Amino acid sequence: MTASPTVELDRAVVADLEAIMDEPGSVLTDVSSRANRSRVPAPFPVHRWAEHMPAAVVLPRTAEQVSEIVKLANRARVPVVPRAGGTGLNDGAVPLRGGIVVDVKRMNQIKEIDMIDRTVTVGPGINMLKLNEELGKYHVFHPDTPASYPCSLVGGRIACSGFSLLGSRFGHTRDLVISFEIVLPTGEIIRVGDGGGKKIRKSSTGFHLKHLFMGHQGTLGIVTEATLELVPKPEAEFAAFFAFDDYLRAHRTVHGIVTSGIATLAGTVIFDEKKVEYLRRDDEAFIPMPPWVNSVVATALYGTKAEVSEASKILMDLGRREGGRYTGDEMAVGDWASRHDRYANPLHGRLADGSVAPMSWHCEDASLNWSVIPQVREEWTAITQKYVDRYGIFDNWGMYCYTNASYKPWGDYLVEIDIGIWEEKLDDEKWAGWVDLKREIAKVSLAHGGSISSCHGTTRAGDAELVPEEMGGGWDVMLKIKRALDPNNIMNPGKQMLDQAYE
Amino acid sequence: MSQSSGNGELQRDFVEKWRENGYNCFSSGHKFCREVCPVMQVTRNENHTPTAFHANIIAMDKGLLDIEDVADDYVHCTQCGGCEIRCPNTLFVGDFYQARTETVKVVRAARALMVDEGLDRDGWKLWNRLTDELKNEPVLGIEGDRPTGQDHVRDWAEGLDLPVGGETIMFADCEAAFYRTSNTRATAQVLQKAGVEFGLMNEQWCCGGPAAEMGYVDQSRAFAEHNLADWRASGVKRVIAIEPHDYIHFTEDYPAYFGEDFDIEVVQIVELVAELIKDGRLKLEHPINKTVTYHDPCRLNKRKNIHEAPRYILRSIPGLVLEDVDHVTQWSYCSGGGGGLPIEKPEITAEISDMRLARAKELDVDMLVSACVWSERPLARAGDEVGIEVADIIELVAESAGIEVGGSRGVSQPTVSR
Repeated sequence: MTASPTVELDRAVVADLEAIMDEPGSVLTDVSSRANRSRVPAPFPVHRWAEHMPAAVVLPRTAEQVSEIVKLANRARVPVVPRAGGTGLNDGAVPLRGGIVVDVKRMNQIKEIDMIDRTVTVGPGINMLKLNEELGKYHVFHPDTPASYPCSLVGGRIACSGFSLLGSRFGHTRDLVISFEIVLPTGEIIRVGDGGGKKIRKSSTGFHLKHLFMGHQGTLGIVTEATLELVPKPEAEFAAFFAFDDYLRAHRTVHGIVTSGIATLAGTVIFDEKKVEYLRRDDEAFIPMPPWVNSVVATALYGTKAEVSEASKILMDLGRREGGRYTGDEMAVGDWASRHDRYANPLHGRLADGSVAPMSWHCEDASLNWSVIPQVREEWTAITQKYVDRYGIFDNWGMYCYTNASYKPWGDYLVEIDIGIWEEKLDDEKWAGWVDLKREIAKVSLAHGGSISSCHGTTRAGDAELVPEEMGGGWDVMLKIKRALDPNNIMNPGKQMLDQAYE
Repeated sequence: MSQSSGNGELQRDFVEKWRENGYNCFSSGHKFCREVCPVMQVTRNENHTPTAFHANIIAMDKGLLDIEDVADDYVHCTQCGGCEIRCPNTLFVGDFYQARTETVKVVRAARALMVDEGLDRDGWKLWNRLTDELKNEPVLGIEGDRPTGQDHVRDWAEGLDLPVGGETIMFADCEAAFYRTSNTRATAQVLQKAGVEFGLMNEQWCCGGPAAEMGYVDQSRAFAEHNLADWRASGVKRVIAIEPHDYIHFTEDYPAYFGEDFDIEVVQIVELVAELIKDGRLKLEHPINKTVTYHDPCRLNKRKNIHEAPRYILRSIPGLVLEDVDHVTQWSYCSGGGGGLPIEKPEITAEISDMRLARAKELDVDMLVSACVWSERPLARAGDEVGIEVADIIELVAESAGIEVGGSRGVSQPTVSR
């Protein structure tokens, strides 16, 4: 029951879409609209671009329109691919079988700011930075701050169950989205939360459907409204960076910090040797560090002045206890402020001979326990080097580890290895090489008891075929849910091996 | 996929020239530019993003689309440059690699390709044909009398007794010379009052900048050649640009056209006036008891990093209360008046200027002050609707210096029939 790729729509279907939308310029079938909604920032097989084009794009404004579009897609057996910011690092928003891209950017209204029960209700097409510009007037903020904070949209955050750089303090997307409205794959509009009304944060009535409808990468529906958490704007912020001559000292230092009981800890990050080397490539923007520096620990506190002032003393002591050297106030303030922009820059791509080539960013984002990180780091680095040597289009941009659990900075980490890929040189063989690289890295995560992905998702080749292994007995439950909710397999088909539900 | 309408070689040249720049964006794909872009904030259509403008080059390279397929997309840009400075490639490593993401130039080159391929838009075609005939932009529309053109190019200066020629000239922008004449009159009288010696151009044509922005490269260059020849003939060494678009054109396009032969000093009016105040040559003694906010014109702030001088000027005016919004926040602000957008997509310009006035309204101000005459018409239109006056910074300087300005601040939209 797998639909064949829909690269062109029947004229009657286009006419039906136009009737549903009833607005000039909101049903787009031209090649520009389709080509510009066929990729995301994650590595893209640019040599096979045409195979990822949708047949049409719609720009809805209401949940009712989305519902009618999805019902039409069921009748016509045409795939639907939800798209919010299109800034994901997996391929959730990339059409694999053509069809209709439902682009929700026009659903970007702030519908209600409730300063009594502390919620904000928005459309899925709003960006968090833009939202916080508005919320600033009320001295509150919505603290969902991924690396893509200036450009990703709320709908995509929910579909990916994203990670926030301040998650250890304020929670991640799943904690910050109280409830949301979603159009199911058959077109019904429902609201899911923890239970109760849309502003209830904790309930034990029924199944916890909110979690089911987050992180599915657009395979279980399209979010059309969300009620989000409002958090008091912290009175004080304190950031500190510590430099180490040895990775294991940095690793132990982090453990000391996260188990100290500091409640204002917003996040702690380790940069490994390769990451420090990568950042040194840009020695004007990044404050230079002496050659002995092998690893860096970055950490930040948010809270009231009274809390942060006292905790910062504990933090400064813990940061230095294993030989860490404080890198200075200038770096702490400047680099923490620019944390959203530092992750990957195409101009830093280097070929083996040292020459510069513009490279795309691939970021593996496993969840791993603290205890296995040094071993995984060795294995990942060795695997990556093998592919760098073999293909001549990859570059190791090093590793970061971030505290991963909401409100509990100890235990597990988002461990990422950043790999530059010279997309311009991709062909089928090199693309297959990249998929193999991803798979080898993901297998290491599973072998060490981790999860393949903390926040980007596992829809892509290289990850997707390992999902049944990671899910174990849960995989069959997933297939039953998918088949029950999406009987015609129209909702973002071809992702994450879910076609198995229809075999 | 459609077939190219004309000479595929020109498209190949375009792709060849801009491919590397395009790949630097394509490889990143971060889209940090998107929520800064004034057009995207209004249309919410990914076709109109800087990311798409670069990706299209790669798509052309791959044979996926032609310029014809994206011609209308490239109209959706005010050339404000916000995307370029918000790009992580420019912002964080640009100095190191001596690289800047060039999006404005890509848009201009794509529009030039559209002109060469006969894909230019009707409104722009007419606007530039009339400019070519009149030698000034048809800023008063083309219906009925046409008091624009060379016979009227100095009408605004009536009674000011301004000489023609000299080492320093004040270049009267078309919009200011014919539409918002309070701007030109205020500027000339402020300079007179401060004792700056200057004259007007002998035969002033349009600077050629709008033609360059809309892709009419040959016309732009012809106008530049005329103006430079006129300056040379009257011994001009220094040009005072009273308007940011002209300033961009004189400091970026003219040097590109003429290379080292271009030895004219170009001065921006807000920087000059700030100096005159600092030096005590211009005294601002008449209080203006109003609460204002300042609109950073895109071409000054985003493209030339000029944002301190206008704030210095406003803080020098007695009685004036400035509710300031910092210039980085204003990277995502725009009037919608640039890049030919109001000629082809007036409804988008109107939405952008409405959005700008809504932001001013939240500050509870009496007045929005700009330093770009091209922004002032759409902003004033939007200001009328929300009860906020829109003024030019030099008009306020003149008032505070005790000058009776005269002239017109204009009200209506230009009409250009298709």
